Amino acid sequence: MTTLLDAQKPVVQVSPEVKAIHRRMLRRQRLGRALTYLIGILISLWVLVPILFITSMALTTPAEVRAYPKSILPFIPLSTATMEFFLNSKGILPGLRNSIVVAVITLVLSILIAAPAGYALSRFLFRGRDVFRLAILAVRAFPIVILSIPLAVVFLQTGIYDSVYSLALMHTALALPTTILVLSSVFSSIPYELEEAAMVFGCSPAQAFRYVVLPLVMPGIAASAIFTFVLSWNEVFAATILTIQNRTLPAQVLVTLNQSSEPYQFAGGFFMMIPALIFIFFIRRYLFNMWGQISK
Amino acid sequence: MTTASAPKGRKKINWAPYLLILPSLFYLTLFFGWPMVQGLILAVKEDGALLTLHSEADRTSTLAGQLPRGIQVGILNRQGNTIPQEELGQSNLLTEVWFRIRGQDTKGQLIEGWTPEQRIRVRESDESGRPVTGSVRSILSSSADPLTRIYAEADEDSQVAGQMEARTPVEILDQATLEVWFLIRGKYEDGTLEGWVPSHYIRAQGDGTQGRIEQGDTSQFTTKYIQRMVNDRFFWPALRTTLLLIVLIIPVQFVLAIIMALVIQANLKGSGLFLYIFSIALGVSDLAVGILWYSIFTQSGYLNSILQGLGLIDAPLIYLSADTRYWILIAIWLAELWRATALVMVIVVAGMQAISREVLEAAEVFGANLWQRVRFIILPLLRPSLQVALILRTILAFQVFAVVIVLGGGDILTVLANETYRQYYDQRNVNVAAAYASFILLLSMITSLFYLRAVRTQEEVAE
Repeated sequence: MTTLLDAQKPVVQVSPEVKAIHRRMLRRQRLGRALTYLIGILISLWVLVPILFITSMALTTPAEVRAYPKSILPFIPLSTATMEFFLNSKGILPGLRNSIVVAVITLVLSILIAAPAGYALSRFLFRGRDVFRLAILAVRAFPIVILSIPLAVVFLQTGIYDSVYSLALMHTALALPTTILVLSSVFSSIPYELEEAAMVFGCSPAQAFRYVVLPLVMPGIAASAIFTFVLSWNEVFAATILTIQNRTLPAQVLVTLNQSSEPYQFAGGFFMMIPALIFIFFIRRYLFNMWGQISK
Repeated sequence: MTTASAPKGRKKINWAPYLLILPSLFYLTLFFGWPMVQGLILAVKEDGALLTLHSEADRTSTLAGQLPRGIQVGILNRQGNTIPQEELGQSNLLTEVWFRIRGQDTKGQLIEGWTPEQRIRVRESDESGRPVTGSVRSILSSSADPLTRIYAEADEDSQVAGQMEARTPVEILDQATLEVWFLIRGKYEDGTLEGWVPSHYIRAQGDGTQGRIEQGDTSQFTTKYIQRMVNDRFFWPALRTTLLLIVLIIPVQFVLAIIMALVIQANLKGSGLFLYIFSIALGVSDLAVGILWYSIFTQSGYLNSILQGLGLIDAPLIYLSADTRYWILIAIWLAELWRATALVMVIVVAGMQAISREVLEAAEVFGANLWQRVRFIILPLLRPSLQVALILRTILAFQVFAVVIVLGGGDILTVLANETYRQYYDQRNVNVAAAYASFILLLSMITSLFYLRAVRTQEEVAE
């Protein structure tokens, strides 16, 4: 678990007792490491096996999906028939389009609004900064369920109910607190001295931001954007309440769940999981920035 | 978080940070603060609970009191009244039309004045359908006044401009649509109130002398929706299941998350891969997770397939049915453990990274075993992270929704968020839905305060 012992390779004469202790500790360390691997692999199986199950259901024939007992061996026979059946079902392709539109608008809006606030939080010590931070943390911790009902009423009254744009407005509100905190930590990771140096060499503050800070924070902003996309893509409660005709993909799957067949359900579950599998891989190093921030 | 690199605060107020946070402040107020307040108000405020009575058939007249919605009233009189422009489009208005006419009165003089539409038979209309000429109808009843009164204004209380005989030809100059007002009398709180109201608030019954107040014009604070929520047959089961799930899930989840975090923090080769695998569930929606576990627990699912393959059962068991609620609970428990542990894990890892390596190494050198290190060093130093994770996880657990719908069918086993959805979507009752949502908010705040207090007192005791 530690490299301290390796670094202390005996350079001078040591007594046999010390060597024995050393050996014992090394053995214990190896044992501990093996145990850690074992636990890690067990937990990985706990995470991966259900995913393997649903993936193999989605990538086989509908007949095989309905079959019992199912073969534990995955992807037999391998087929895109179930996925095609799902994607050609009524409301799925429009739902997919709506989901993407909502998620993209949410992503753009929340980054545009959150980036200045995140920059202010990381670069300025201003009166009310702590209050602002606390307020954002509090907002992050409020249940979102309570937002959907009154927003539905207001959207109905103003005539923007059942629209992807109003849903995107709502999702932006959900994503904004986290995005602000994440971007603030991303900006904090860039030393202010870099900006200062640029200004010493004759850049205006805006230029220093544009040519020095922006290129450095782009990966962090991209990670945050991806996370916002996934958040909007996954959100189902508000989407079901705020839309009727223009349903997003999760809302469409949820409301048709009772009348649908198992191939449809499994293919839908798998399809909704794909962005998570891809995007989490790209942003895994930023996860602690994102969620660790909240606990500080 | 420290910002050592931030420039020192100057005497002059720097407006830049305020300008920078302004958009997000504005947005959060508009789409977070305001709806939240509205949600609370929806739960306790009834729109149109009371109907205001006027002393005369006129909006500007003095008020005669208020009657609640739903009571029976007697309709004593009726009268037409001009309609405010903003109400013209309403479909449920009871209206009468008056004509402004010009014709000879009984004395042979040409007079102009108003009379109700039913007194005139229209003879000619222009292209757009507007009546142009007509004649006065005869009054059939023998006892009634055979003459038709012409009023100075479109109001039966106004001055009489003259009278016309039946069948007098008239020019129709203008027409006005009037809303009918009722003079109603109703009992309320051991008194009887009488007053004029616009007729669209009243549903007349029978011969038109009785009616019921359909809708009021004034809102009122009420506990009605909260009572309806508490008396709803799904309320207590939903609350019980929600709390039970929290109690069952969160302790196991935290133990699992700390183990995951320790595995990642062990800095083994391939810990990056572990990190990826452990955090996959962070990006998976609760709906997808519900379906994932449904594929395992459904009758022809993987659990039965495996059990049958091992020869433990002869025929597939049914797990997700009303008779096997505990299996549904177990399925939801597993699904939520699978899905939401990643979130706790990430917060715990972030907290562990802040613990200095020297402290842990010192403990190891002094012979502390893994359990001792976790119990006496890691856990105490992790307390702030654990507190935040607890608050976040509990609040999210109060909102568990799609997993329960998929695995519990929505009514076999139900939770608070599902009832909010049902009240809004199936029952079309926005106010009760808002009451459920407010109740979830209340529970979340109580538990958050409880966690904050519990952790603080522990620290005080430690000092």
